[in-house]
Amino acid sequence: MTNGKFLYCLRDIYHFPCLSSVRFFFHVFVVPNTAETVEGHQVDEAVASIFHTVLFHRSLGKFCYKQEGHYSIGTVGYEDVDCDFIDFTYVCCSSYYLDRTLKREISGFSEALRGNDGPGSGQISLEFFQKKKTRWPFQPECIPWEVWNVRLELIKLNNEHERQLCREKVGDLLTEKILYVAEIMNRHEYVPTMPSQSDLDLIFDTTYPDIQPYLFKLSFTTSEPSNTSVGTTMRKLIKETLSI
Amino acid sequence: MKVAAGELSTEERQNLDKFTKSLFLKSAQIIVQSRLGEKIHTKCNPQHASTDLFNLAIKDLPEVQSETKKALSVCGEVMSCSQLPFCVEISLRTVEGDTMTLETWCLGVLADQKDSTLRVTYTIYNRMGTLLKSLVSITRITPAYKLSRRQGPDSYVICYRMYLGEPQLHSLGEGYNQVKVGQLSTPIGTLQVSVSYRTKMTISPQPSSKDNSIMLKSDHFRPDNGPKNVRSQIDDLTSSLSETIKVGAFADSRKTSLAPSDANLVFPDVPFSSLLTSRYPTQQSPSSPTGDILSSILNQNSPVNRTSNTSSTPPASSVERKEDSDNGNITTTRCTSSSINEDFILVDLKTPFAGSNANSDLGLFYKECQTAPPLHGCCEEPTVAEQVGDLASQLKVFESNLQEYDNMLSSLCDSENGNE
Repeated sequence: MTNGKFLYCLRDIYHFPCLSSVRFFFHVFVVPNTAETVEGHQVDEAVASIFHTVLFHRSLGKFCYKQEGHYSIGTVGYEDVDCDFIDFTYVCCSSYYLDRTLKREISGFSEALRGNDGPGSGQISLEFFQKKKTRWPFQPECIPWEVWNVRLELIKLNNEHERQLCREKVGDLLTEKILYVAEIMNRHEYVPTMPSQSDLDLIFDTTYPDIQPYLFKLSFTTSEPSNTSVGTTMRKLIKETLSI
Repeated sequence: MKVAAGELSTEERQNLDKFTKSLFLKSAQIIVQSRLGEKIHTKCNPQHASTDLFNLAIKDLPEVQSETKKALSVCGEVMSCSQLPFCVEISLRTVEGDTMTLETWCLGVLADQKDSTLRVTYTIYNRMGTLLKSLVSITRITPAYKLSRRQGPDSYVICYRMYLGEPQLHSLGEGYNQVKVGQLSTPIGTLQVSVSYRTKMTISPQPSSKDNSIMLKSDHFRPDNGPKNVRSQIDDLTSSLSETIKVGAFADSRKTSLAPSDANLVFPDVPFSSLLTSRYPTQQSPSSPTGDILSSILNQNSPVNRTSNTSSTPPASSVERKEDSDNGNITTTRCTSSSINEDFILVDLKTPFAGSNANSDLGLFYKECQTAPPLHGCCEEPTVAEQVGDLASQLKVFESNLQEYDNMLSSLCDSENGNE
């Protein structure tokens, strides 16, 4: 991913006044000189715990239409997930396919983050959007209505003791984030109105057999320590936004 | 269904009551199930099932369901929109019987914050679903969750208690945290869910019995800390006796100091004390820190698959301490007249070594002998009088040998220190 994409996301945020945009800025501490999987999994678990919690709130049961205007809504199941590399347990929808989608996207981000030389940082976004029909032959326009950004920084740790502290500290940080997610969700600020049967695909992702989340996509960007002026400016912008 | 500005129709009101009641029932299920100590996994169901309220697959444990209904019942009717908040209290109980309240979940309706513009049936129902999802997520991140996952019959169990009323937060200790899970505006008020949880975990769930044993032995021979005879039968609690009650070797000084003044409240007057004894004998570790152990509620809590709604608080002074000679623990038990004498003798036999207070202790010892059931050989009146005289003379002999006892005591203390 490039900074261009990063800018595109931010531009979207600022262009939609009804948008509920949320940004995080926190660190994930990763031990160097240990197995790659440890690093990868800690990043994966941190991101997954937040995004799964968001998607748990933003997923409904499957709509089952009986006749026009009449439909029933299925049930959302959930399950507890224990993190292996963080002292933390989170809840996610018990949907294998939803989990697979998330895992695939997050591991792409995790690998890109770890692929950088030296301490790197990056941001991964979960964006909910609705589609707007346009005239043929154009593709439907995607209008985001909520974006969740998680920004990660990798820093070096020196010994096993620090690693143990990290397990707990990252767990505490995630606790704060989950509380924040719940707070935002219970503000009931904006979700798209329920569509008619023909427009269901414009609001919901109907490809999952057991669950029906609002349309969403994941995207990420990674940045190296010696970044361009554009990247630095954007990082400053995010920090300033958070300090408000 | 449309809502006219202002008043709710009867049907809307009924729906809202029904939803609120369901929300309370499901919330209780979520909270209690999250503390069972096991991972929860419920399946998605694409087909609508009428039992899955709020489109969320939450199992209904029958026992929790009935306990919640019982807690919400006022005059036999399950209330849904009571003025009083509904609380679910989670606590920890160790195998020794120490209890500590970990958190209190509170669901309430703020009647002064209404939103009469909302469509009752659909929007509120959906938002209640969101609130329950937040509750599911947040139950996993409070400290009690990690503790509940580590519970076991050999260490501690997690208990719950439900009640209607203002949350009793004083039992959470100092510096507890309060977190809002979520809220929801309805035409009858704002529904709010919050949790207050303990941050200072100063109880030691698994004190080592070996350490206790050592402490018991070394403390026992200290003149100022030696076990004293705390009588448990109200007839024996004369004024002279109560004056002699000192801080026990392992007793919380604050609690014990109440003993003389509360003496009259103690035994037969404690309601249902015999029931408490037989069901929940409790143990208190000598090394347990004071203040955070809430022995007062230990009888009202139950393991997570059981519950009770009522609460009574036996006074701390109604607890008799006895020495458990097998494992060296100090055991606190609710007093019953049946077991008192044996316990008393066990403790009292050692008091002649108690240094400066030896006079009164010895006197009490003989008083106790007086009140003991007479032996067959000395059941006649004159014999008793003679025996009293004989005992008095023996007492004099012992008192004259006081120095010898003190020397023996100091030599024992020296040898103890030498061994350590």
